[in-house]
Amino acid sequence: MAHLTESVVRVIDEFAKLPGIGRKSAERLAYHVLRVSASEALALADAIRDVKQNVRYCKNCFHLAEQNECDICRDPRRNQSQICVVEQPRDVLQLETSGAYSGLYHVLLGRISPLDGIGPDQLTIDSLVDRVKHGTVREIILATNPTVEGDGTALHISNRLAEYPVEITQLARGITTGSVLEFANKEILADALSGRRKF
Amino acid sequence: MAAEKSLAMVLRTVEFSESSYVATLFTEDFGKITALAKGARRRKSAFESALDLLSVSRVVFLSKSSDSLDLLTEARLEKAFRSSQKELSRFYAALYIIELVNLMTDNRDPHPELFRTTVRCIGRLDQGAPIAPHVLKFELAILRHLGHLPALHACSECSRAVPDAARMAFGIWNGGVLCNSCKIGKRKVVSLSLPALQLLRSWSEPEPETTNDTDWSLPQFDTEWTKVAGEVRGLMNQYLCDTLGRRPQLFDFLGFH
Repeated sequence: MAHLTESVVRVIDEFAKLPGIGRKSAERLAYHVLRVSASEALALADAIRDVKQNVRYCKNCFHLAEQNECDICRDPRRNQSQICVVEQPRDVLQLETSGAYSGLYHVLLGRISPLDGIGPDQLTIDSLVDRVKHGTVREIILATNPTVEGDGTALHISNRLAEYPVEITQLARGITTGSVLEFANKEILADALSGRRKF
Repeated sequence: MAAEKSLAMVLRTVEFSESSYVATLFTEDFGKITALAKGARRRKSAFESALDLLSVSRVVFLSKSSDSLDLLTEARLEKAFRSSQKELSRFYAALYIIELVNLMTDNRDPHPELFRTTVRCIGRLDQGAPIAPHVLKFELAILRHLGHLPALHACSECSRAVPDAARMAFGIWNGGVLCNSCKIGKRKVVSLSLPALQLLRSWSEPEPETTNDTDWSLPQFDTEWTKVAGEVRGLMNQYLCDTLGRRPQLFDFLGFH
């Protein structure tokens, strides 16, 4: 790219490192940055700097926060007796969009993935146990992903919490609303049957 | 690009871009392949749960002639592994088995019999078969299938028959038992009791494909195993680490030292 200046090449290289952005898209973004006003372009740079400098993990639940505690943990209207355990902060955002849950969260920051060398000690499970031990929690909702590793993580947590007087529940799984039985695979049907409830 | 079909076990998936996976599959007909599953992470993906670890799925993929990734076009789940919802040690044992398969097999090197052994072993673990002896049986089976089984009858150095004795020399670096003259001066030699060696000999024999899955619950199976379990486990840990050139990740999870 001899015909581009060093700064332009640098910004293209940086954009191209972003997930889902190829070289062509990176070039388009770089041209966009060159075209907009300096204040608009620098607002992007400032936003990136702020997010890296100010965002940290909440000391209670490990969700993203700009203070020691996240907005959810500081909200007195949230139900303090329920904790929903998820793998990643993005899972919190997804569950919040449902509007069906008003309790607290606990983000594990991963899942037990032995093939990648990730064991329970690398997750925030100890902090969850402390919250249960010292708090007023009555129910733990395990909302790890419905995969082999997600299930293994949920099982490990439920074993760790077995000695405490909390109810441990897991998100329901099975047939999607609006779909038809004819096209559901046998594992989904098996899940739906084993998790059936009284009508 | 030819479209290939096979039964496959999912050994590993790695997130690729926002919506895709790169999946490592152990197929019955083509051996281990690495394929890109475009859109597999989307909610309405054509792969559904067929690419979860330890799943057995019927796959269709476009085989690339170059070094690039194959392209997975279809995967239909045949059997999922369920024990991760019930017992952690069973989950770790099953992961250990696919870790061994992944570490010990090469891409595009078909081993249909090993594939069937792997599927059967993981299926049995999922059904509640005893874990530790089952894992050992699989270790011996994969070593046999891939030509790494230690010499258990003749001396691994001079190939002469080694007479049975209360304790026998087993050379980890030599790949099996050693006779009295060959063991002298050898490094990394461990002493193995005769019952432990006999168990290794008998369990390393190929199992007929027709063996009934309930054979694992025979009482003789338990008594044979419990007497020498620690000794055999220690030997296998050393032998496998030496053969693989590294320590499997799952050793820590299974409590293998």
